[in-house]
Amino acid sequence: MEFNLENALTLLRKLPYYPVLQSKSKYALIDTTLSVIAAAFEEVSALAPELKEEIAHWNEGRRFAIGVLPRGPYITMEKKGDRIRFVGKGQKKPDVTFIFKNLDSALLVFTAQISAHQAAAECRVLIDGNNAYAMELNRALAMVETYLFPAFIFKIIFKRPPKLSSSQLIIKSKVYANLLPILIKHYSQVQIAKFKD
Amino acid sequence: MLPNYYQFYCPVKILSGQLAVSNIPYEMTLLHAKKAFIITDKGVVKAGLIDIVKSAFEDSTCEMGCIFDDVPQDSGSSVVNKAAMLFEKEKCDCLIAVGGGSALDTAKGVNILVSENAKNLLKFQGVEKITKDLKPLIAVPTTAGTGSEVTKIAVIYNEDTKEKMAFVSDRLYPKIAVIDSRMTMTMPPKITAATGMDALTHAIEAYICLQNNPIDDIYAKTAIDLIRRYLIRSTENGKDEEARLGMANAALFAGIAFSNSMVGMVHALAHALGGVFHVPHGIANAILLPWCLEYNISKEPKKIAELAAILGGSLEYLEHTDLAHITVSLVRNLLQRLNRISNIPMRLRDAGVTRDKLSVAARLAINDGALIYNPAEVSYDDALTIYEKAF
Repeated sequence: MEFNLENALTLLRKLPYYPVLQSKSKYALIDTTLSVIAAAFEEVSALAPELKEEIAHWNEGRRFAIGVLPRGPYITMEKKGDRIRFVGKGQKKPDVTFIFKNLDSALLVFTAQISAHQAAAECRVLIDGNNAYAMELNRALAMVETYLFPAFIFKIIFKRPPKLSSSQLIIKSKVYANLLPILIKHYSQVQIAKFKD
Repeated sequence: MLPNYYQFYCPVKILSGQLAVSNIPYEMTLLHAKKAFIITDKGVVKAGLIDIVKSAFEDSTCEMGCIFDDVPQDSGSSVVNKAAMLFEKEKCDCLIAVGGGSALDTAKGVNILVSENAKNLLKFQGVEKITKDLKPLIAVPTTAGTGSEVTKIAVIYNEDTKEKMAFVSDRLYPKIAVIDSRMTMTMPPKITAATGMDALTHAIEAYICLQNNPIDDIYAKTAIDLIRRYLIRSTENGKDEEARLGMANAALFAGIAFSNSMVGMVHALAHALGGVFHVPHGIANAILLPWCLEYNISKEPKKIAELAAILGGSLEYLEHTDLAHITVSLVRNLLQRLNRISNIPMRLRDAGVTRDKLSVAARLAINDGALIYNPAEVSYDDALTIYEKAF
């Protein structure tokens, strides 16, 4: 019998525990991606001059969150000094939040099947909070994505794919090198916060 | 070709044509409403348009409870609060907004307060923050441009925080939009031209921007066709009833289109000019439209090219990019003609804009949410360049 993906998926969907597994897998994947984005935000804000310039006029303590309705995952970040710092998982009093309507919508963006602006055009994402902050966050997020994602998906995620200079490529390699330590640091931060609660 | 995914919603009942206003009392009975609260401005009262609405109630069991005509040019929170208190004092059960965008936005703001039983609009700003069904709102536009009679958005200036608050909710749609040519007959030529170009901008941006969908495309194209037929006519001769009705319908269709498809860089840059230089919205849109269309050609040549046929020039053997440039020329020609008839400005410098603050406007423009839906990326430098070109 020839392998047929559609048939396989149909059979899988019939399994009693499949919807739960599917939902949990999507949640886990999005949670991991958000953690990576949070780590990248911290590192890029420390290294990239253009992101420093973009956030220079942001008010100190400005918080933003990115997450998924109705039960997350979420990450919250905050401007501290000339950098962006990870506050924690969940919504921690953000001034502006990018919220995906559901896990599927978030997955489309985080697996680079559609861009964030396409997701907005398809009403898959909501903005909760100050509109001007949202546009500033959008630009900052685009800069982080430039240093995080490989060049071959730039055409999907950007309206105008950027071309990185050699100094930017060096920064990109530093970001990649430091991602894992920062992820571990954030993970510890979250566990300590859970323990304190 | 269908987009990957789209949403469309327009629950507004539309009454359009001869003596449309006369049907208001009947529609009120269908909505189980008895006492209407009229929200309007002094200009509309002075023009005698409220008398047309009054005459509709002459032989009706419904009544006009109160006329609130204190609406300023830009709707503000203090006016909304004042009107809401009066609505409650008069024990009215429905709202009729008669006027331009400001009267309609004020009515939507009042509706939020009285339906949610609240004193402060602040907590309802943003997307889908309204939790209760609102009182029936009947919209009777007296301009042919904003399309607010069929949108789910209200923008109200907060005098305390000195910021504009935007309210977006499916609940904000008026129940009924009444399009009666008598209500737009008194518009002077310059305002007719400016609001008409506003409607054209709504339709064109709804057609070419990222959130376009096949249903809105039909509304947008019909709006553009009506504008092509009637804008010059209604500007040259304000008493042309057919032209007035045509333009009012064009603005309505453009409103339906952009309410679902959103707008793009023309509006982002025009909002910034309004904020910094107080350039009227329709005039800013009119001046910026051809420049922004030209800017977007690289991303949407086919969609912009399709507009050439509707605007009056179709040369099928041309490439998309060349046809798209013809669309831009046709829009420029329209603006030139309107300038000759009504003196509507064609350059930003003629609209009160000064070069020294263009950078401030550009900084403001790139923070406007409409830019998300624009096909092409617009940076600060791009916005400044467009302003310089249009100056």
